[in-house]
Amino acid sequence: MILAALVMVVQVAAQDPRLERLDPGTRSAVSAVVDSARGDGLPVEPLIQRALEGATKGAPGARIVAAVRRLTVDLGAARLALGTNASAAELEAGVAALRAGATPEILAHLRDLRRPPLTMALSVLADLVASGVPADSAAAAVLALAPHARDADLVEFRRAVERDIALGAPPGAATSIRVNAGAENVFSGTGTNPGTVPRPRRP
Amino acid sequence: MFERADDVVERVIQHLRRPVAIDPGLDARVLREIAQAPPTNRRGWPLWSALAAAAVLGAILIARPWSRDETNRSDLLQFVFVAPRAASVSLVGDFNDWDPARSPMQTAQGVWATAVRLAPGRYRYAFLVNGVDWRADPGAPSARDDEFGTPSSVVTVGGRGS
Repeated sequence: MILAALVMVVQVAAQDPRLERLDPGTRSAVSAVVDSARGDGLPVEPLIQRALEGATKGAPGARIVAAVRRLTVDLGAARLALGTNASAAELEAGVAALRAGATPEILAHLRDLRRPPLTMALSVLADLVASGVPADSAAAAVLALAPHARDADLVEFRRAVERDIALGAPPGAATSIRVNAGAENVFSGTGTNPGTVPRPRRP
Repeated sequence: MFERADDVVERVIQHLRRPVAIDPGLDARVLREIAQAPPTNRRGWPLWSALAAAAVLGAILIARPWSRDETNRSDLLQFVFVAPRAASVSLVGDFNDWDPARSPMQTAQGVWATAVRLAPGRYRYAFLVNGVDWRADPGAPSARDDEFGTPSSVVTVGGRGS
């Protein structure tokens, strides 16, 4: 009895203090998921942030716990695809890409094509899908640009596609046209010069 | 009355092309002056030079500028939201623990702005207007996986050439 109480006290003490914004039941469930993820070697900061997002947005506890559990599973899937050396940022971007519809094979292929970090390439893939580009088109575009494009080139590519879509171009066509133009720029070394990007920049 | 520029340039070129007469004894005088100059004390130079070179080399090896650690670098990003009739706007996201008090935005005629320094990574965020109204950033990609029923946006800070 005393031992159990002592274990509980230690557990509470080990909890991230930021989780005190959750109600006790939700906090306990989220902490258990976080501890389990930590034990599996997964990054826990994304899990805590997801829980805090739910708390700030006033989501019910059950929904917060479900979101954190789902993210844990997806982080594991991303690590399986990207490898154990993948950083926390890469895993988080990998989750976004997987949720956007990229397959684990695409993530693994990207890992083989591009020197790390893969965070931007994975994010651009997910963001393109969010803009309406079909997942297979987005994946094909990113895989085509990945070997040579810098992160800034990928961001510029995404913005160009988004502009074309906003002007009325079909998302798939905008992507394929821009990927060809982007590839020419990248391969001829006329991509965006990071030195010309004003700071601070916009998202 | 003015000369044409081409004529002036041509005359200058012609003038500069004329050979300049140099005293034949100039070389001998210069060499004599050098030979008579007092010797400088260079005895300690090799040791000090070696130590200085070693210090510079050590600093370079410690700093390793060719392999910049991506996890330590960060970008300053400016977030802007237009809400002319809002009384308050806060930036909340993965970078400030979704705490509205951490990144209040300043307004100038309804344009709300703040700057946040972010390390490489993918961040979800949103604007909280008047403490109750959640808004996505119209100028940024949207977060598709919104599980809490309110819109969010995404910003990614890359590692190379971003």
